[in-house]
Amino acid sequence: MLEYIFLLPVCVGLVTLILPPIFGRIALVATGALHLLLSLKLWLAGGQAYFPEFFGKAHPGMLVLLLSSFVFAWTAPYAVSYMRQRPTKYEAVFSGCMLLFLGTMSMAALAEHPVVFWIAIEATTLASAPLIFIHRSKQALEATWKYVLICSVGIALALLGLFFITFSMEGTGPDIPLSFSSLHKVAPLLNPLWLKTGFIFVLIGFGTKMGLAPMHTWLPDAHSEAPSPASALLSGALLNCAFLGIYQVHTLMVLAGLGAFSSNLLIGFGLFSLLVAGVFILNQPDYKRMLAYSSIENMGIIAIGTGIGGLGLFGAMLHLIHHSLLKSSLFLSAGTIMRTYGSKLISQCANMPRVLPKTFCCYFAACLGIAGLPPFGLFVSEVLILFAAFQRGLPVVGLLFVILLILVIAGFAQGALRMALGQESEVQGALRPREKVLQFLPPLALLLSSLVLCVWIPEPLRQVINDSIVLLGGVIHG
Amino acid sequence: MIGGIEIFLAIILLSVLFSLTSSRMMSLIKLMALQGALVSLMPMLLELESKMHAGGIILFAVMLTIKALCIPGLLYFALTRIVIGREVEPLVGYHSSVAVGLGLILVAAYIAHHLNISVEGVHTLVLTTAITTLGGGLFLMMSRSKALSQVIGYLMMDNGIYLMGTALTRETRSIYLVEFGVLLDLLVAVMVMGIILNNISRAFDDVDTLDLEQLKD
Repeated sequence: MLEYIFLLPVCVGLVTLILPPIFGRIALVATGALHLLLSLKLWLAGGQAYFPEFFGKAHPGMLVLLLSSFVFAWTAPYAVSYMRQRPTKYEAVFSGCMLLFLGTMSMAALAEHPVVFWIAIEATTLASAPLIFIHRSKQALEATWKYVLICSVGIALALLGLFFITFSMEGTGPDIPLSFSSLHKVAPLLNPLWLKTGFIFVLIGFGTKMGLAPMHTWLPDAHSEAPSPASALLSGALLNCAFLGIYQVHTLMVLAGLGAFSSNLLIGFGLFSLLVAGVFILNQPDYKRMLAYSSIENMGIIAIGTGIGGLGLFGAMLHLIHHSLLKSSLFLSAGTIMRTYGSKLISQCANMPRVLPKTFCCYFAACLGIAGLPPFGLFVSEVLILFAAFQRGLPVVGLLFVILLILVIAGFAQGALRMALGQESEVQGALRPREKVLQFLPPLALLLSSLVLCVWIPEPLRQVINDSIVLLGGVIHG
Repeated sequence: MIGGIEIFLAIILLSVLFSLTSSRMMSLIKLMALQGALVSLMPMLLELESKMHAGGIILFAVMLTIKALCIPGLLYFALTRIVIGREVEPLVGYHSSVAVGLGLILVAAYIAHHLNISVEGVHTLVLTTAITTLGGGLFLMMSRSKALSQVIGYLMMDNGIYLMGTALTRETRSIYLVEFGVLLDLLVAVMVMGIILNNISRAFDDVDTLDLEQLKD
């Protein structure tokens, strides 16, 4: 029975909502660790679903599950230290919703039935909304309102898309259960017109949640206004879950012989996301918004890699893994920076190497990584995607990809360097707070795990990556 | 033949048009209750000839309660709690809104007739109504500035999608448990939106989304 992986955090989360805050802190860390253990056990030892028609162990889903679990396990201790330093009346709600958020994301990762997947994704929106406005500031309320409304409408359109896909099954015989794996089996028999219509709606719908431009408008607001532990989860785990839905339907399209159609759409949306991110990262005064736009950029890269196929698919999967680890590390460091300087403006955060030496090392290294510089994993994945573009006869895509990446890196480097080398401001000059272990260890651990994965990919992980891309014709060795 | 289904569909269409002209928040909420009830009864009417399972009947009872009672009730509760001018305050005038609504019906009819669906006539009408309701909901969200009317627009859009689902998947491949999950999501969504609305109204002294413009690049 593998349903316990999402039932555990959901149940603990619901209980946490009504218990005193101190219980929530213990529950966060304990459930995070237990969830990681259970996910690892599912990876290594396997397990059967109690409701096989609704849940299963699809390969890309397993990847997303382990990533979410790993990011959460490190975010939880950070969240405890965060709550200690910024007490709020609603701490029980915060802990409870964090756990519910983890539970709904795990449910999405394990979903086998398209509508169950949809339910889980909508539930992630609802579970994460209270996290964003936990401090009840006007900006946070505005961000939450946009997040809930835009994402709900987007996801509602995705449901319409899923209905169209269901309808494309008319004529394939009545006894086929509605699930991703059985849809994949009968893919060539499906009605192509309805399948195409369905894919467009699913791409727009889940693309909204994934942060693909031009449906990304909620993302910079929500990710920058949320408290840092929540931002780390939103960026490092949630976006992957939304991508999973698009990936499953894209697989279906490829198997149905409509791969060219869906690939072109994915590449188009991906390039546009890169462009939008590049334009807004340049001269971005707010470092959390800078990180948020970088998420849009990276989701765009993943969409491009998926669309190109072949070696690009391997690149996209690597990109997914490293982006999650690095971006959550960055958001956690950003939380410490924000608490020390009391501002989200880059110009206010001068002299970081002396004020926050440990956090600074972590933050700056992860900045280099997320910008795609070697030796970090995103460099490898971007090069792979670039190779694949030329290999598969898409030189224009490759060229645009490089130009837009340069734009993004320029903007990102500008922001990161201003934070690193900015002049000493008189306000912060004397300040030198003690950095607590719980504050710098989680981002450091996430950063190091990304570094380790650059040089050594464990065999089970390589196997799962291979299995999730092989259906689409993806290869690990080009 | 004009039967029960056609009358229901006509009333749903009228409720969409009426919601585009109504200037009071209260009447919008009442309209949503009516529309929710009609939409949740639709599958029953469509499936009268075929055999209904016990699970199906329970589901429709639950759906009727949620769509026609719980959700409008929550909206009413939100309306009484928040500081709000009870006028709708449209960005697009009422008359132009109705014109848009009528245009939507034409477009919907055109789309429904040109989708080559190989099923009998009544489905085309359901499809027309569904597309109009969906479009009407989207239009309501975009053209009204009060946050509560945006929630109502979202609900209307959701009704449209549900109708579309009813029209397309009459062969009931879907499992009742799954539909129940979708419904639960909708209920919680309205609840969460209500809580945010309440907080917005306390922080801003109003729930006009035109006030929500601090975050931008």
